[in-house]
Amino acid sequence: MAEEVRTENVVIPAEEGEQLIIQPLGAGQEVGRSCIMLSFKGKKIMLDCGIHPGMNGYASLPFLDSVDVEEIDLLLVSHFHLDHCGALPFFLEKTKFKGRCFMTHASKAIYRWLLSDYVKVSNISTDDMLYSEADLVNSMDKIETVNFHQETEINGVKFWCYTAGHVLGAAMFMIEIAGVKILYTGDYSRQEDRHLMAAELPNVRPDVVIIESTYGVHIHEKREDREGRFTGLVHDIVNRGGRCLIPVFALGRAQELLLILDEYWSNHPELHDIPIYYASSLAKKCMSVYQTYINAMNDKIKKQITMSNPFVFKHIINLKSMEQFEDIGPSVVLASPGMMQSGLSRELFEAWCTDKRNGCIIAGYCVEGTLAKHILSEPEEIVTMTGQKLQMKCSVDYISFSAHADYQQTSEFLRELKPPHVVLVHGEANEMSRLKAALVREYEDNEEYKMDVHNPRNTVGVELHFRGEKMAKVVGSLAAQKPKDGQQISGILVKRNFNYHVMAPEDLPNYTDLAMSTVTQRLSIAYTGTIPLLQFYLTQLAGDMEHIKVKEKPALRVFKSVTIIFDSTRMVVVEWTSNPVTDMYADAVVTVILRAERDPMPQKAVPRAIRVDKHHFQECMLDMIQEMFGPDATSKLIRGDKMTVTVDDNTAIVDLDTLEVTSASESLQSIVHTAVNRLHQAVTPLKS
Amino acid sequence: MTSIIKLHVFSGALDESPPCYLLQVDEFRFLLDCGWSENFDMTMIKELKRYVNQIDAVLLSYPDNIHLGALPYLIGKCGLTCPIYATIPVYKMGQMFMYDLYQSQHNTSDFDLFTLDDVDLAFDKITQLKYSQTVTLKGKGHGLQITPLPAGHMIGGTIWKIVKDGEEEIVYAVDYNHKKERHLNGCSLEMFNRPSLMITDTYNASYTQSRRRLRDEQLMTTILQTMRNDGNVLVAMDTAGRMLELAQLLDQMWRSTESGLSTYSLALLNNVSFNVIEFAKSQVEWMSDKIMRAFEDNRNNPYQFKHLKLCHNLAELSRIPEPKVVLASTPDLQSGYSRDLFIAWCGNSKNSIVLTTRTSPGTLARELIDNPQLRCITIDVQRRVKLEGAELEEYQRKKQDKGSNDSRSKIQQMTIEDESSDESEAEMDVDGLYHLKGKHDLMMKSEGKARTGFFKQAKKAYPMFHFHEEKIRWDEYGEIIKPEDYTIAEIVQPEEEVKKPEKGPEDEKMQEVTDLPTKCVSSTVTLDVNARIQYIDFEGRSDGESMRKILERVKPRQLVLVRGTPAATETLAEFCTSSSLIQGKIFQPKVGDSIDATTESRIFQAKLRDHLVTSLNFSTARDVELAWIDAQLNYIENDEPVDSNTLLEERNKKEKDSEIIPTLDCLPLNKVPTHTSVFINEPKLSDFKLVLLQEKIPCVFVAGVLICDNKVAVRRNKAGKIQLEGTLCNEYYRVRELLYQQYAIV
Repeated sequence: MAEEVRTENVVIPAEEGEQLIIQPLGAGQEVGRSCIMLSFKGKKIMLDCGIHPGMNGYASLPFLDSVDVEEIDLLLVSHFHLDHCGALPFFLEKTKFKGRCFMTHASKAIYRWLLSDYVKVSNISTDDMLYSEADLVNSMDKIETVNFHQETEINGVKFWCYTAGHVLGAAMFMIEIAGVKILYTGDYSRQEDRHLMAAELPNVRPDVVIIESTYGVHIHEKREDREGRFTGLVHDIVNRGGRCLIPVFALGRAQELLLILDEYWSNHPELHDIPIYYASSLAKKCMSVYQTYINAMNDKIKKQITMSNPFVFKHIINLKSMEQFEDIGPSVVLASPGMMQSGLSRELFEAWCTDKRNGCIIAGYCVEGTLAKHILSEPEEIVTMTGQKLQMKCSVDYISFSAHADYQQTSEFLRELKPPHVVLVHGEANEMSRLKAALVREYEDNEEYKMDVHNPRNTVGVELHFRGEKMAKVVGSLAAQKPKDGQQISGILVKRNFNYHVMAPEDLPNYTDLAMSTVTQRLSIAYTGTIPLLQFYLTQLAGDMEHIKVKEKPALRVFKSVTIIFDSTRMVVVEWTSNPVTDMYADAVVTVILRAERDPMPQKAVPRAIRVDKHHFQECMLDMIQEMFGPDATSKLIRGDKMTVTVDDNTAIVDLDTLEVTSASESLQSIVHTAVNRLHQAVTPLKS
Repeated sequence: MTSIIKLHVFSGALDESPPCYLLQVDEFRFLLDCGWSENFDMTMIKELKRYVNQIDAVLLSYPDNIHLGALPYLIGKCGLTCPIYATIPVYKMGQMFMYDLYQSQHNTSDFDLFTLDDVDLAFDKITQLKYSQTVTLKGKGHGLQITPLPAGHMIGGTIWKIVKDGEEEIVYAVDYNHKKERHLNGCSLEMFNRPSLMITDTYNASYTQSRRRLRDEQLMTTILQTMRNDGNVLVAMDTAGRMLELAQLLDQMWRSTESGLSTYSLALLNNVSFNVIEFAKSQVEWMSDKIMRAFEDNRNNPYQFKHLKLCHNLAELSRIPEPKVVLASTPDLQSGYSRDLFIAWCGNSKNSIVLTTRTSPGTLARELIDNPQLRCITIDVQRRVKLEGAELEEYQRKKQDKGSNDSRSKIQQMTIEDESSDESEAEMDVDGLYHLKGKHDLMMKSEGKARTGFFKQAKKAYPMFHFHEEKIRWDEYGEIIKPEDYTIAEIVQPEEEVKKPEKGPEDEKMQEVTDLPTKCVSSTVTLDVNARIQYIDFEGRSDGESMRKILERVKPRQLVLVRGTPAATETLAEFCTSSSLIQGKIFQPKVGDSIDATTESRIFQAKLRDHLVTSLNFSTARDVELAWIDAQLNYIENDEPVDSNTLLEERNKKEKDSEIIPTLDCLPLNKVPTHTSVFINEPKLSDFKLVLLQEKIPCVFVAGVLICDNKVAVRRNKAGKIQLEGTLCNEYYRVRELLYQQYAIV
């Protein structure tokens, strides 16, 4: 029992890698350059690799320096927006990253064109270019695709993705390492819209949820109200003879707006003579992607495809260039960029803002410092690109179509999943801390369930501890009987990734692709002496020896495992099957042979082997005990098989047959026991 | 401890009938595929009917009628209600196959085995999956997981993996294709390692294919020669499976300027060609890497055809100028446009007919393949013709009668409150057609906006169809109910209504045909076959050689061989026995047989204590780590101090409330038994040579023996084990040390 008590009290050192570290390299208390590192059990996973849209060149990258890029096993990209995949070509082509990179099919197809567009734009604006078109094309080879729900396992890291809503191909990744599940939502929306599904609710409970917090504690307008307001506004503007400008980001929400407008126009024949223009070459390029990956969209679209492709619009005219555009009378124009920093949407706004019949509808998230944000404050005048001042008379409205979760969705989502840990990313510091406070408040009084909410800053890691239990499966002959309490199990533990199996060595080939094997060894040694001579020496070493014949040649077998074959008069061959113990025996045998060879005795002079019997052993023991404890410690007489040792007032009785020692004093017992055993090992020849 | 595994064969074993098996794993019964032969063999259905109530789930592997043909019948007529699992393409294309099959049959005969509604009903029950998406079954199937994996052959083609308790692995792989094709990746069978049971077909076991390039060239030359001679080429293809491969190949041929084909016409003719191509366009993510890359890089959708014209009937086809190459369904020439075209074209020696699949014995196509010298055949020609003259009058009179009967019976119903209105019920059956029509009509209205193009003429002809709205009748107990409204088939109808848009084309087609009074006539004709008939294999299945290689790789513990001629099955079984690949049994059931592949599954779970694991010495072999473990099973729960972060553990505890999982704990030191070391993972001698050379020990192979530094020999003895031999010297011990390093020694 002593051992068991001991093991209970041992403080188990935290095994390396039991810590799960979640470290945002970007998007920690900010929006943009999403990049989150996960490390657990020696596996390193990067989630997203975006750039900050508000910065340029190297400054816009996530803090990649704070990790060892070479060690990263896996990179998962949630969707095609620049702040989630913008740094990908740089990361794949210009760093030492050796792992694998995954995204969904639709994301990859759009990524190619979106970034190509970005490269063109950034070429003009900055000198320190992060990557070129060529890098982008090369990076395509390194990106692998996954389908939603498809499970993939890379070196013990299992992951699969769920639909995230947000944009076409947007995914939430569930990552499982050694039984610990981590959900990364990316950008997600729980609201179904015209073409996308709502983000799915995973059917397994994650242990950690890394969740976006863009909208903090805001609550969105209802979809019907929002759409109604939007179409109503557009209708009003064109009815009063005005031109309606909708600045949009080329991909993502623009497609949703197009679907709404196309349907509205279909239902209102009176509007048919008013054209809707969509001016974006990028969107045109990616339309075929939208027309193809129908399976990633909602059921309504999937049904519709059997009749006609809903992305083949009937009332929307694609504008290749401004030259094509005839500005006569009312029209609706969707133009990029969404925040009117420059480009077509800016041009049109400057041309139209002086007429009060015209209207501008801002439909997405705008960043501080852009014209879109500025005009929302309804200024009297605006400054054009050329520096002129223009009166702003047109109407400006803001209807958010951006597909990020609001507080209601986030709260419900987390309520369903009940994760022990929540890590907030992708949100302005203030919004994030408000969301954190709100979530904490929500579960304040809950006794049964506690939610830890973390909002780490960039490069600051959140450390969580998981003592994930290691479950082993006992298979094969070891599990032939029903397991009983206290049953001893000896076998081979096979650890593959994070799975453990225990099996008997014989079952190895049945359950794995490994096989048990043996190595036999034959070592030839020059020996010119006689058989009896060697035999003499060997008896001193080994207790049991057999005379056998191997291929008509005399041989000796010692330790039941090592065979010495007298191959010729000049040579012996030592043969055995490898394993650490027999190797040791063989080494001993080899030493004996060498000794016999070096120290020849004439055949007649070979003495009879000393017989080590009980009597001899007893004598030795008496000598030893007297040397150890003094001559008075024991009587010279041995009665039966017992010998008594008396030291001070303690007495120990030694059983000479079994070498067991019994004594009232524990210390004496162990001393005598050790001494007796050692003596026995030294005096008697080895037996295997 | 033991899981029961049984397989009952309904069809498709030791012959070439379509696959249909009932796999029982413990209490749960899977129906693996439910194919129906080209001639709708009822004997197998009769047998299957007896088991319908027992089936808990259906797994489908391919969308063609050989693999799921009986599904509409089972659902619609036999009352099968269990969930069905299939990949998205199998679902979509399977529906197309069934529509086309129904329509092909209906065009020429009074086909009544199933209706389009049965098809919809059946496909509504399908749970659509992605590859590698694991479904964990609940209830009766607790502990079972099913996963579809890519199989090649047809889009969405599936190898099913069924796993019991995370250990017992059953693989159902038929008709797979390991080779990459134009539109599909090869199957992923090599990822399996030692499954406990594998069910596979032997269809191609003694069949050798010529190389793909040769076959492509053969097709190309046939087409070119025929075209230049002003003849037409009929390629008999399936509806939406292998057709996709060939359509892409032909469109590519037409595109290349050197081929000189672009002046000729290329057409795809089946009842659902538009929809099939639309679906194919939206399934790029299920196709080959090459196609995916082309799409990602250049947005080239391979099914955006430049030359292939889509036709839905012979009239549309006739508008395409000759000479033309026509891909027409069905591949067996038993029904469909391919049969019509065959009859029309086989007499002219200028024409060519290309058969692409060895269909079941007894079909016309198979007969032509098996007897290439056949110059004259006698076949039944069935046609649907409009009623004329007296017959038409008769029909109209009957219809009127029915009408008056109807109203009369209604009056009867109103007056006599008799719930057993057999008469009117019988009439309902006849009248049912119109009943349905009315509902479809509503859908047509919304369809008007959709630009589906090719239905236009149909629409113009029948913009609206008369719809009888029945008056709701009341008696003192309320509305008079019709019992047939509450039969199972009717209950599902609301769902159908939602689904209607999908089957728009067929409905209209059917309407078009059934609207005019028609009848089916059949005549036996003898045809001279003058056209050149060729069989070029575009089946897309692995051949015998590859099947054997794959089996060698997979090494299942038990094997069930199904679907293939007795000779082929025997060949493969013999191969497996002689190479001693399979440790367990090799089953070769025949149709109607039940086999029992139950194995004792010896397995239980145990928790590993952390300090036990940390005390172990792991050594690595390939991708696994191994250690010798001596431990003791404890059933007692010892609660360790739980810190706040070990919620995971707590949850695990909750989960296993039902059963206590034993813990594996350290043995007290004095109780640890000794064990003989085990050497695991034997190296190859050639690999070992490289290791030695790296350590700068000169070594050479002499007659299979690796001689190192002329002092030490490493060889395999008779038992295949490695033997180290040498004289006593330093090199001996160095070589030994290096050799030991190659092993995982525990």
